[in-house]
Amino acid sequence: MPQEIIVSFAPHIRQPLSTRRVMLDVLIGLIPLVAAAGIYFRARGLILIGVCVVWCMATEWVCNLIRKKPGSLWDLSAVVTGVILALSLPPALPFWAAAIGSVIAVGVAKMAFGGLGANVFNPAMVGRAFLTASFGVLMTTWTVPATIDANLPQVGAQNIVDARTQATPLGWSKIAIKDGAGADIYNERQFVSTITGNIPGSLGETSVIAALLGGAYLLIRRTIDLHIPVAVLLAAFAFAGIAYLVNPDAYVQPFYHLTSGALLFGAFFIATDPVTAPLTRRGMWLFGLGVGAITLLIRVVGKYPEGFMFAVLVMNGLTPLIDRLFRRVPVGGKPRVG
Amino acid sequence: MTTATQNSRSFAGGVHPPEGKHLTEDRAIEPGPAVKELSILLSQHIGAPAQATVKKGDAVTAGQQIGECKAFVCAPVHTPVAGKVKDVSLLPHVVLGRTMGVVLEAEAPIQPVVPSFQRPQAFDPDKYTSEQICNAVRDAGIVGMGGAGFPTSVKIQPDAKVPKDTLIINGCECEPYITCDYRILMEWTEQVITGVQLIARACGAKDVYIAIEDNKPKAIERMNASLQSLGLVSAIRVVPVKTKYPQGGERQLIRAVTQKVVPTGGIPPMIGVVVSNVATAAAVADAVVCQRPLTHRVVTVTGLGIARPGNYYVQIGTPVQALIDHCGGMTADAVKVVLGGPMMGIAIADLSTPITKTGGALMVLTKQQIGTERFEQRQSPCIRCGRCLQVCPENLNPTKIAHAVKKHLMDVAESYYIGACIECGCCSYLCPANIDLSGLIKTGKILLARQRKKMPS
Repeated sequence: MPQEIIVSFAPHIRQPLSTRRVMLDVLIGLIPLVAAAGIYFRARGLILIGVCVVWCMATEWVCNLIRKKPGSLWDLSAVVTGVILALSLPPALPFWAAAIGSVIAVGVAKMAFGGLGANVFNPAMVGRAFLTASFGVLMTTWTVPATIDANLPQVGAQNIVDARTQATPLGWSKIAIKDGAGADIYNERQFVSTITGNIPGSLGETSVIAALLGGAYLLIRRTIDLHIPVAVLLAAFAFAGIAYLVNPDAYVQPFYHLTSGALLFGAFFIATDPVTAPLTRRGMWLFGLGVGAITLLIRVVGKYPEGFMFAVLVMNGLTPLIDRLFRRVPVGGKPRVG
Repeated sequence: MTTATQNSRSFAGGVHPPEGKHLTEDRAIEPGPAVKELSILLSQHIGAPAQATVKKGDAVTAGQQIGECKAFVCAPVHTPVAGKVKDVSLLPHVVLGRTMGVVLEAEAPIQPVVPSFQRPQAFDPDKYTSEQICNAVRDAGIVGMGGAGFPTSVKIQPDAKVPKDTLIINGCECEPYITCDYRILMEWTEQVITGVQLIARACGAKDVYIAIEDNKPKAIERMNASLQSLGLVSAIRVVPVKTKYPQGGERQLIRAVTQKVVPTGGIPPMIGVVVSNVATAAAVADAVVCQRPLTHRVVTVTGLGIARPGNYYVQIGTPVQALIDHCGGMTADAVKVVLGGPMMGIAIADLSTPITKTGGALMVLTKQQIGTERFEQRQSPCIRCGRCLQVCPENLNPTKIAHAVKKHLMDVAESYYIGACIECGCCSYLCPANIDLSGLIKTGKILLARQRKKMPS
């Protein structure tokens, strides 16, 4: 006979899936991107990821101490924030700056709002936005991948500052268009480079293959739904396509927009952050379309070459409204009042 | 002919918990315990409680009515054995907490005998009028034995305004572990068919279906063969439905079988559909053909915490403790006793709680079965992953409702249609944060009902 029996609400069994497992799946999905960062930016890239993870976890630990809450370190959400933040940073960013970004990401964007699940904005993107606003030059200094012969820069030759750093494809194509060189300089060779990741850019955004591999894993594990990534890419493609059709000389081809910058990485790993995205399917579509459209609005019309971070933050802010807009209706219809 | 797995009908949402039916599915219905003292509750159904017709010290015979109906939505109560009324008092009730009941001291503790039903030669349901069937069902105290316990006589009464043209017999048994309906389908096949014919006759249904989940191919086969031999294949159709929880939920089943939708807050008769459980159908046959009141039922005793799981024919009023003892007692690692299945069943603290007409299962769970997180009630914050929305069979937003209830924002909970929740528990089952979503929603419904009671109309 047992010592005592317990009572609680039904159901009395449960699918063995925990928040930690969900976070772990995201981390597994990030492995191809981390690997790409290692290949193209070598030890420097991997150490930068490590710095962000350590500082994110330390910040979470300290905040839990201050809030007198049980440790939430092992739900792994701080690790995910750290990796995503690092992957969105320029490879040459000084470690002290990465640490500041991490503290802002977890301390201000997440823990100050009440911790996991309570934050309004994507913590990694807030951290990155803070760094962009504070250290503009550092955040736009892009290292050429280690796999490219430094003496033979293959992309954007006319804008090269030195052999070690240069603008991202999106960045120099914008400058080239402004200088009247036309958009077609974005040639086929660079398109192939964006697929493999052999281009300057943030740690995790350069390789299309890695982003697709990781995204596929998340989709297979059902960690994310297809709705948001598809909506983001669809809106971005449509926006870029219209711009291109209007004036092919002034705007980059729509396919290049999809493969360069943070669009793919972000569509699978940043916009899909469940805490800051809408709950309903229709809400997810609106959210994704918004992210894609705003990103392209900034890229095509705005001053910045890349706008994914701002697009996500804007749509994060709209998420509560979107959730309210698209309320689910019961299968049996709205109940009659009475 | 399509095989069972093809074209299985279904609904949107739902989950696939481990079935666990292997523990008891091949165990034939066997007699339950001989009990010295029975607690027969007067409220084993939805509606007004029955009124006791006996008092302390009265001698009663087996099958005697001891609780009568004053209200329309009500069901009488009978004794399973002869004996003496020891007391009429408040007794533990699985849902209501405490309710009036009759404590019956058996003359001599006798083990129930599993009855064998003889279908009359050339049975013709038209020999009975609808009224005759309804009255016999009412007098026998039959209520929905699938769990809800709505008085069957009320349900099967013909309605002139909305003709009840469709009858669905629910043999899904989508709750994991439970096998009592499966055993009834396998062993009492002809009795079920007789009951189905009688219910169809009573309510005037033209389209009659027996829905069985496609994880029970033997039951589907047995039922088809039996219908064939009785020449009823065209009158009663066996519908294999997809194995998915909560396929046996009445609203989900109607959607799967007829593609009709029961309006939110409504009941199936509003769209001309009657849904009845297989055990209920068997009881109807017993009541009408054999004039036997509902005093026994088949109960699946299962779970990893019980020594001898099985399907038992039990006297209604048997205390849970007696049934557990009959099955070899609880194992040392048992931590939870549940009346009903693991998804919707209710955990009880008082083992003197009796078996009622609606209780098809008694589960004893171990810590391993429950899982550490659920056992320790370890909850973490909602990460808005949206899994609860995906699995909700009623297309609700469980996390929003539950968190509104948590903050006592009842108007918000209502704006997310808290009343439409069927309490199936899919959301809680799947929640990675282990939040008691369906528990909070149930709490919210009770709070709302109390609020309404206080308000002057």
